[in-house]
Amino acid sequence: MTVPRPYALLAEVTYRCPLHCPYCSNPVTLVSPSSSEAWAKEDIHSEEPAGSVALRTPHTPTGNGELTTEEWKRVIQEAAALGVLQIGFSGGEPLARPDLAELVRSARETKLYTNLVTSGIGLDDDRLRALRDAGLDSIQLSFQSDKPNLADEIAGARAHERKRSVAAKIRASGIPLSLNFVIHRRNIDRLAQMIELAEALDAERVELANVQFYGWAFRNRAALLPTREQVARARDVATAAKARLAGQIDIFYVLPDYYETRPKPCLNGWGQRYLTVNPIGDVLPCPTASSAIPDLRLENVRARDLDWIWRESESFNRFRGTEWMPEPCQSCPQREIDFGGCRCQAALLTGNAANTDPVCEFSPDRARVDAVLSEIHSCEHTDEWTYRTNPSAVAVSM
Amino acid sequence: MDATTIADLARPTLTQGVRLQIDSATGKNVLLYPEGIVELNDTAHEIVSRCDGRTLGEIVQALAEEYETDAAALAADVREILMALQHRKLVELT
Repeated sequence: MTVPRPYALLAEVTYRCPLHCPYCSNPVTLVSPSSSEAWAKEDIHSEEPAGSVALRTPHTPTGNGELTTEEWKRVIQEAAALGVLQIGFSGGEPLARPDLAELVRSARETKLYTNLVTSGIGLDDDRLRALRDAGLDSIQLSFQSDKPNLADEIAGARAHERKRSVAAKIRASGIPLSLNFVIHRRNIDRLAQMIELAEALDAERVELANVQFYGWAFRNRAALLPTREQVARARDVATAAKARLAGQIDIFYVLPDYYETRPKPCLNGWGQRYLTVNPIGDVLPCPTASSAIPDLRLENVRARDLDWIWRESESFNRFRGTEWMPEPCQSCPQREIDFGGCRCQAALLTGNAANTDPVCEFSPDRARVDAVLSEIHSCEHTDEWTYRTNPSAVAVSM
Repeated sequence: MDATTIADLARPTLTQGVRLQIDSATGKNVLLYPEGIVELNDTAHEIVSRCDGRTLGEIVQALAEEYETDAAALAADVREILMALQHRKLVELT
C-alpha cells in the first residue's frame, strides 16, 4: 500500500483547561500530569520488544509528563519533513503552556501554517503580541453561546465577557479570527443569535459544529443531543445565514451525524491526511482514538520518529485504505467516499473499531443510534451533564 | 456580495491570513489559509504571484508580455481565476 503524505498536525500541547465544557472531546480518563500514571501510560505505549527505550531528545522532565519545549520543536521539524503544511495548536487550552509563542515561532521557521485553537482565557496583550511576533497565522476562538449566562453555565466558568474582549483584541492585532461554536441541545435554538455575535465581533469565519460524541461528550450525550425538530430548524437558519453573509463571513455548519443516514468521511480516511500528537507525546491517527479504541497500540514521539510512526506503525496502518473493511463497506460503492465512517464511533457504539460506522443506514448496528435518538425524544430524557474535569482532578461521578 | 466582474483598476491581493508557498512534498504552489490548502495550477500561480498591489490591468499586461500573447484574450481567464479565488475569500480587491 502506498502511504500518502500528511497535510496537518494537531498538536495537543496540554490537557489543562480553565473551562469545563461537558462536550469536550478530550478523554474522560485524562492522564493525570502530576501523577505517576502519566509515565506508566507512556511506558506501556513506547515499550519496544527489545526492552528499554532510549529517549530521542535529551529529556528534562516537565514534572507533569507533558512534552518539553525541545521535544515539541523536534516533533514540529519531523512533521514538516513528512510533508505537513499546517499545524493546529490545541488542547486543553494551549495558552496554559508558557512556551506557546516559542513553539509557534519554531513552526513558522519550518514554514508551517500556524493556527491556534483557544478559549481565549489567558490571552492578554503581552501574549497576543508575542504570538503575533512569532508569526501566528490564525486564531480560532471558542464561544459557548451568544448569551453570557448560558455561555458561562455551559463552560462551567465565567468566561464569556472575557472572550468578547479577547475577540476585539485579536481583530485589532490583525490576526485573522475564526469563531467556533459547539452546537448542542442547550444552545442550538440560539443559532441565529450566535451568528449575529460573529458578525458583531467581525469574525472572518465561523464554525457551527454540532457536537460529536467522543470523550466527555459521549458520556454526556443524552443531555447534549438536540431533537430532530431543533436540528431541522437550525439547518434552515444556517442555510439562510450562509446566503446572507456570502463574501463577508464564511460559515461552516457541521451536521449532527446521528441524524444522518450516511456516515461522515472521518479524517478523509484513517492515516491519510491528519495526525495528532497528544500532551504526553502519543501519536494518534485521530484525536479521540486513545480513549475510543483502547486496544490501539499507540507509538510515542519519545521512542520513535514521526516518519516511522506515520508510515510503519500498526496504529496508522490498521484502518488505512480499504482492505480492513467488513461488509457492508467492502462491496459498497461509497467506500472511497466515506471510508466506512468513523472508527472511534464504531468502537464506542459497537465495541469494535473495525465495524461499519453505525450511523450508516446499511450498518447492522444502526439500531444502536436509533435507540439513542428515541431515548432523547422520550419524556424520560435527562438534561443533566457532567462537567469536564482537569487532569489533576479525580473523575467525578455522574 | 461578489461583483459579477473585476474592474481593470481593482488591485487584487491575497487576503490577510492567506499564504502562497511551495509544497516541498510535491513542488507545487499552494495557498495556505485557516484550516485549508488549495493547490494552484501553473496559470493560477502566475496570476497569484503577481497579486502584489498591482491593478488587474497591470497584471494582465505583465502576463501578456511575459507569454507574448494578446492581453485582451488573456484578461477573461485572469478575471475568471481571480473571481473564483475571491469567492473563496483567498483574494480580496482593494
